[in-house]
Amino acid sequence: MAPRWKGKDAKAKKDAEAEALKEPMSMIISQLQSSLVQSDAYGILSDKSVHFAAGAEQIVLLEKACLGRPVGTVEKDKVWFQLSLEEAFFLCYSLNCLKTNGGNRIPQTNEELWHYMKSKKETFPNFFKAYAHLRMKNWVVRSGFQYGVDFVVYRHHPSRVHSEYGVLVLSEGEAVKDVNGRLRVWSDVHCATRLVGSVAKTLLVLYIRRNGSRDDSPSCLANYTVEGRTITRWSPEQCRESCS
Amino acid sequence: MESKTFEEPSSTDDELYLQNASDEDDESTFSSGSTPKLQFRYVKSKAVWNDEMGMAEVIEKRGKTWVTTGIVRSGKVYSSMEESLYLMEIGALDLLDDCERSICLTDMYEKIASSKGGCCWELFEVYRHLKSLGYIVGRHGVSWSLKGIKSSHNAVDGSEETEQVVGATSKSDLPINKLFSEMQINSLRPDFDVYLPNSRFRKSSPGDPSFLLYLSRGDPPSRAEMEALEKQCGGLPLKIGLVTEGRVSFFSFDKVEIPLLP
Repeated sequence: MAPRWKGKDAKAKKDAEAEALKEPMSMIISQLQSSLVQSDAYGILSDKSVHFAAGAEQIVLLEKACLGRPVGTVEKDKVWFQLSLEEAFFLCYSLNCLKTNGGNRIPQTNEELWHYMKSKKETFPNFFKAYAHLRMKNWVVRSGFQYGVDFVVYRHHPSRVHSEYGVLVLSEGEAVKDVNGRLRVWSDVHCATRLVGSVAKTLLVLYIRRNGSRDDSPSCLANYTVEGRTITRWSPEQCRESCS
Repeated sequence: MESKTFEEPSSTDDELYLQNASDEDDESTFSSGSTPKLQFRYVKSKAVWNDEMGMAEVIEKRGKTWVTTGIVRSGKVYSSMEESLYLMEIGALDLLDDCERSICLTDMYEKIASSKGGCCWELFEVYRHLKSLGYIVGRHGVSWSLKGIKSSHNAVDGSEETEQVVGATSKSDLPINKLFSEMQINSLRPDFDVYLPNSRFRKSSPGDPSFLLYLSRGDPPSRAEMEALEKQCGGLPLKIGLVTEGRVSFFSFDKVEIPLLP
């Protein structure tokens, strides 16, 4: 699928695309990283979220990068953002711009954070690998639970462009199928493709291969590989009409 | 701060976009697998079924059917189980046994039930579905005609050139009596070569198929299975077909490289 920029007419769509080019996601992420580093940012780890109090500049950058969700204003000029496990670990480990603590003000190492997150979510290593893989390519990655998938991805801010893909993260060992059993049977494939198709997206499966590596430490991630495949339904009736 | 730009993009993205609208009318169309009615406008061709070979030798060709059906060997035309059965169902073929007695549809259904002719029922359903829509379907690895052998794609490895094609790897090398008799049960290889409807199709130079087709025998293919299948496709697209209670559907599991964005 080609990117579908948003706008009421062709010109508005072109404008959206131009705006996105003027302010590429890589630049936004880089600015966010700098701002967080400068302010020695830290977040509070609670269950499966990290709460972070963002100042004026960071509020804007987080919103532009589409990272986290604002959850309320407690103090003047500060907004609490809630980050998912993947989002938080991305800031802590991949961008090295956030520290976390478990509410006791003692900062955690990335190793500690990794173990904690794994204990909360068995599939965290694979999900994080997929998340980081996409973010490092400057795609915007958001939760896909409303669409029955793991993530939805956008080429830029969702206000500017429609999402092209609904993403499922599958693990694949040598002979082992997905740990969570997704797409185990054909009716799952029918269901997933129909569901994302009904909201004009393509189903994208990211197969995470560990290549013999374990998951004791975040450094294991470097050995994981990501292979993307789209699953689409083909209609011989429709194809014949457009091909003849 | 404007909270509306920050919402989960549910409302703006929930466009109803029914990609497979044609699937909705499953009660009415032929393509859902109901038995076709006899087409009396067809003049019947005649062929003799050979149980040992698992195919029929055509002795009387009628109509344009044979442009896109059957393989040519030493000047004779042979039709596979699926081709013969399809033509019988639409009333275009009179199939005889070696004593020149007519073979009825029931007999053919029994033959296919015992996987004679290297074809199982579901493979036939896929064949029939595509054929009735005008696609040209041949068994993978079996050349339409030996005249075309130098120009058709190499079924095994697309990177090797024409010398390889005439060599030992292509199944077309097998003598005619071995070509159709065995059914590939456990090997993971494409089942059919499929061409888009084409009135200029020539068996002597068919060109590359539009895609290769593999019939799923169980669960969706794993990533490793897809890779194993793709290795045999010589770079041509691969589709996975499946049959569920007489309904045929097709999926692509294409590799995609997520581009690096600015």
